[in-house]
Amino acid sequence: MSAVLRIEDLRIETTGDAARALVDGVSLHVDRGEALGVVGESGSGKSLTVLAALGLLPVGTRIAGGRIAIDEHVLVDVEAGVWAGERELRALRGRTAAMVFQDPMSSLDPLRAVGSQVAAAVRVHAPMSRRAARERAVELLTSVGVRDAAERAGTRPHQWSGGMRQRAMIAMAIAHDPLLLIADEPTTALDVTVQAQVMDLLAEVRERTGSALVLITHDLGLVAENSDRLAVMHHGRVVETGATRAVLDAPAEDYTKRLMAAMPAESERTAPAVRAGEPDALVADRIVVEYRVPGRKAPVRAVDGVSLRIAAGETVAVVGESGCGKSSLAKAVLGVQPATEGAVVLGGEPVRKELAARTAAERERAQIVFQDPYSALDPRLTVHELVAEPLRIRRAYSRAAVTKLLEDVGLDDGHAKRLPGQLSGGQRQRVGIARALALRPKLLVLDEPVSALDVSIQAQVLELLDGLQREHGLGYLFISHDLGVVRSIADRVVVMQQGRVVEEAPTAQIFRDPQHPFTRQLLDAVPRLDGPRRGSRPLPVS
Amino acid sequence: MTAQLAAVAAPTPRRWRPRPGAVVGAVMLGAVLLLTAVVPLLPAFDPMGQDLRAALLPPFADPAHPLGTDALGRDLLSRIALASAVTLGMTLLIVIMNAVIGSTIGILAGYFGGRLEALITLLSNVTLAMPVVLLLIAICAVLRPSAGLTILVLGCTWWVGYARVTRNVAASLRRQDFVVSPLTQGGDTFWVLTRHIVPNIWPHTLIIAATDIATIVLITSSLEYLGLGVQPPVPSWGSMIFDGQRHLGGDPWLALLPGIVMLLAVGGAQFLSQQFTAETRGGLLRKGGMR
Repeated sequence: MSAVLRIEDLRIETTGDAARALVDGVSLHVDRGEALGVVGESGSGKSLTVLAALGLLPVGTRIAGGRIAIDEHVLVDVEAGVWAGERELRALRGRTAAMVFQDPMSSLDPLRAVGSQVAAAVRVHAPMSRRAARERAVELLTSVGVRDAAERAGTRPHQWSGGMRQRAMIAMAIAHDPLLLIADEPTTALDVTVQAQVMDLLAEVRERTGSALVLITHDLGLVAENSDRLAVMHHGRVVETGATRAVLDAPAEDYTKRLMAAMPAESERTAPAVRAGEPDALVADRIVVEYRVPGRKAPVRAVDGVSLRIAAGETVAVVGESGCGKSSLAKAVLGVQPATEGAVVLGGEPVRKELAARTAAERERAQIVFQDPYSALDPRLTVHELVAEPLRIRRAYSRAAVTKLLEDVGLDDGHAKRLPGQLSGGQRQRVGIARALALRPKLLVLDEPVSALDVSIQAQVLELLDGLQREHGLGYLFISHDLGVVRSIADRVVVMQQGRVVEEAPTAQIFRDPQHPFTRQLLDAVPRLDGPRRGSRPLPVS
Repeated sequence: MTAQLAAVAAPTPRRWRPRPGAVVGAVMLGAVLLLTAVVPLLPAFDPMGQDLRAALLPPFADPAHPLGTDALGRDLLSRIALASAVTLGMTLLIVIMNAVIGSTIGILAGYFGGRLEALITLLSNVTLAMPVVLLLIAICAVLRPSAGLTILVLGCTWWVGYARVTRNVAASLRRQDFVVSPLTQGGDTFWVLTRHIVPNIWPHTLIIAATDIATIVLITSSLEYLGLGVQPPVPSWGSMIFDGQRHLGGDPWLALLPGIVMLLAVGGAQFLSQQFTAETRGGLLRKGGMR
């Protein structure tokens, strides 16, 4: 059987005087119609490896050794001195091998109709009239499950949801029935339920076109359900490779075992940290949040009468799909987006609804740890300055206090002088937590605090949060779309749909005996290590 | 993914190698600055003193007047040096005024948004629609032309570019979590603006200012050429070229020499600012095949 993609002994280095190997001695191959999962944590070189295959390496990196061939066509052979040119690569991209990127929000041009972007992708390799291309685009969009594609094709990306945009990206990728589809974290930015739909779509598309798939992800569960073979990467090397089922059932390498162990445990929290006798961290009473939308008369109701109580030392998880109102609820608690109706009580004392109207003392009772560790920290400030900021605002700064806060989250003086750009995602999140703790809040709003992190880092941060909760008696409002993460940390789970609470119960009960159909749907969509959800589908070899 | 790319591209410790364009630019602008700084220190520096017996001396003919003299026998080297100081000084002042006004307006519009932003957009469009040179001529018809007037008018009408860019940056910064965070900790708008917004915006202002220098030199010089701005006997590049063109047939150096100095300044500033912009921006993807 001929390989669609064959990478041999690939070495990628940083350019410049002190060349550092980012990918070293990686060999991979993908056969026709096969699905290869490439798993690894950030910095493992998994994305670089496949980007290199399409000649899309970022500035500052270069191929320093090895051989890459797509469909038996040698693109690079460092020893033989073969280097494909830009023209050669362009002929190949989109036609023989196509890519689906991670972020469907930024991979479409916001100013052009989605249909015309798909049509452009069609016309790149197939000379045809604009009209014909547009018709083909509608056909493609319909084939990836976009309803009323003819009408929707004329609308621009902002009118499309994340899942629909990813469908459009897939439509572009399959425009020329490529032999090879490369999907780089295709569902990381999506909800679990949408993730399941997109992965189903990819499987269905492959069944129809017979293309091979390289699925790059950090999610072992996703790979377990969607790949035939698996390559585990770590520090720029492939540490283990083999049939997916075989590797997951009996991992041979330590790293693979560690990766699997770091998956969120399928068990609940055993020792609650709730402190009786202390005032509740949060009492939110019938919160309503409404947004005014320009051009529409009636305001949009994001949160529709939600009540919530979090005791000191308790973790309450609010789960739901994006747009269900969980973030708006958190913002209303913080006052960033004031509630239209309802009341907020923090640490036993009522506070005003708008942040601007709250006194500094009222504000410090509830603090937030943001989802995106990249936008949460001012890129110009050092770690020390970042953690010092809340103390400076309250004129309570001391060097020792900052050092203590950093110590509490497991960072030392060496980290204190660094800029956010010099930290890993997990370290950044630790800085965010230290900053939130600086003012000794009663309630910590955790807005998807680990969804941007690798699994092993996720586990560490969750452990840190658990320890801090026990030490300080903090109440956690844990916003998440990931039920797997929620299971191991939350005492209670609140499921939200369309601004309302549809189910609320202790964590164990939610997982053992979900009552609401939406809760069941959420639970079903979580990818699991123990096997393909939709049954192994052998793909036809064309 | 983006973050990962950045992480890969950022930490490579590169030795700073200036591009050829930057070297050329630095040499050109450096020559003008050197001229401006050193010549007034020479004992022979006298930009105003007339000597009709030594009028229209060609360059290199008399050691007392290395670049010759003009129609009134004034030392050309001294006059060019003073003119450089005058024009560059005015340019710098105008650029700073515009940068400050424009960035302030842009930051306020971008951060607060809403009606203020609509008002400021309107104001920008009105400002943009005004022909600055015509406006200045009209004002000078009423008031007396002077350097101060030129600085005032140009300094208050060339800020739209700064406002546009800084408004966009401020609007995107406003949505960043690190701007929200101090608010939840008891900080106020002033804190956020001074600690997070302004420090993250001024590099953008600097880039525009760098590219603006050449433009402003050209505009002020053309105004000087029309007799608006610095008044005689104080020289400027524009007025010197205007004076010199009357002798273009017999003594072309009178117009050429200030012209060359101006070319050096404008070209140098342009080359340097391009280098500066390129350094700050940097691309994400390489082009040109596998290698």
